[in-house]
Amino acid sequence: MRLVVVILLVVAAGLLAAVPLLGDAVLVQYGINALLVATLAQSWNIIGGFAGYPSFGNSVFFGLGIYGTAIAMTQFGLPFGVGLCLGAALAVLCALLFGLPVLRLRGHYFAIATLGLSFAVAAVISNLEIAGANIGLILPLIRADGMFYELALGLLVACVLCVYAISRSRFGMGLIAIREDEDAAASMGVNTTLYKTAALMIAAFFTSIAGGIHAYWITFIDPASSFDPTLNVRMVIMAMFGGPGTVLGPVFGALVLSAIYEMLASWISTAAALLFGLVIVIAVIFMPRGLADLAVGLRRHGPGYLLQNIRRHRI
Amino acid sequence: MSAAPILEVRDLTKRFQGLISINRVSFAIEEGEILALIGPNGAGKTTLVNLISGTLAANEGEIRFQGAHIGGLPPFRRARLGIARTFQVMKPFPSLTALDNVAVGALFGLQGGARTRAAAREQARQLLAFTGLAARAEQDAVALGGPDRKRLELAKALALRPKLLLLDEVMAGLNAVEIEEVVEVIKQIRDSGVTILIIEHVMKAVRQLADRVLVLHHGELIAQGSTDSVFKDPKVVEAYLGKRRA
Repeated sequence: MRLVVVILLVVAAGLLAAVPLLGDAVLVQYGINALLVATLAQSWNIIGGFAGYPSFGNSVFFGLGIYGTAIAMTQFGLPFGVGLCLGAALAVLCALLFGLPVLRLRGHYFAIATLGLSFAVAAVISNLEIAGANIGLILPLIRADGMFYELALGLLVACVLCVYAISRSRFGMGLIAIREDEDAAASMGVNTTLYKTAALMIAAFFTSIAGGIHAYWITFIDPASSFDPTLNVRMVIMAMFGGPGTVLGPVFGALVLSAIYEMLASWISTAAALLFGLVIVIAVIFMPRGLADLAVGLRRHGPGYLLQNIRRHRI
Repeated sequence: MSAAPILEVRDLTKRFQGLISINRVSFAIEEGEILALIGPNGAGKTTLVNLISGTLAANEGEIRFQGAHIGGLPPFRRARLGIARTFQVMKPFPSLTALDNVAVGALFGLQGGARTRAAAREQARQLLAFTGLAARAEQDAVALGGPDRKRLELAKALALRPKLLLLDEVMAGLNAVEIEEVVEVIKQIRDSGVTILIIEHVMKAVRQLADRVLVLHHGELIAQGSTDSVFKDPKVVEAYLGKRRA
């Protein structure tokens, strides 16, 4: 059974890698976006799904990845790879410095504090000359969507492998214990501060690399679009839709929701956002624990699973 | 006959704003004994356990475990030194199975504990059997009933392989038969070399188990000694029953 899943995933990754060969430019562009967003949802899953800390500061790491790459390439003429490293270093450092105080807060307080962080960092960036202030920066133009696509796919695969490793490890067990009951976890020997901070730093790393790839691909960047809090909301929705705290759920959640949104947008452009919202409301009602739980639930209980959810949550 | 006490508490004080919850409490626990901590509701018993386990930080006083000061250590360090506790308001990991609940303790407890998840599960399985939860191993903790949750708390604490076990009302809500079972389990734990501090309102169990009794009232130690002498102490009777009955 496990072998079958692995083979299917390898085949799926291979097929995805071959998509640029089709020569459909629109599909590749859609693919880059979807793959990057899937990486963002999967990164959020590490801190939000495993450790149970609903971060609204992950868009900060995305923005720092964007700006690290952009500043390195435009202001210092450094290569793209160095830019990615700079962006990642900034984001991981930010996760460490802000994580230590902010991760002392729990639940809603943590969410609000991290949301505040995203506004604060955006304000700082838009006043930095080196970051192009509130006008932004223009990166070297490059037409290589195939490369960006493969980079985005490679990053997503790395992120999934990392989450898989976490899910099998002592570290992952500690994160889950923190999510379930932090006081009990601490009294059972889990170094909660270290684990939470490490989880946030790992999430920051993958999120910022995605930001760097996005920056070079999109070419023109500015503070408003780089530190967009609604992007963070999308990460949360996609991870929750797929199944927080699972290895593959957030990836499927992101890819499925991206596809639905794209289809809605091309069929009925004006009402797309409305219908998208409707999809999410229905999903929350019928499968509050995500696609991953839906798969298990349907196998175990059949279609009655959907009704059980309604009854269990007294909707 | 015995060497230095395993736990020594001196002049421990805890204030919540103006309210003094624990007032200059001093006592020691000898290695291998069962010490019962009793007192009326609100006496500060759970607060005392929280101070020893590190869940709360004391305002004054010192705590020594095996001779070393531990008052400044975070809870996870105290757990790894060998101090395990149960929570009166039970704190299971709700969406984990009973087995994984216990495995967390085996993974993170005292050095020499399990270092792989498979080994941790193996230890957890034995502890579930020991506490009478073997049949519930694969159930999510949230689906367990009250008595089983109490047993789970006990199994989770034991998974740390503790030297000192702090039991906060593990018998509350159990029926007479279940209490007998837990008393037997606690005796076996003691016989395996674990020192135990037990908070308990079930006096029959206290009589069966305790080598010594501490009585806490309004945050102060008002009596300590053998079970019989403590229960005869007029101050203790007054604390429990009021002045006119005494």
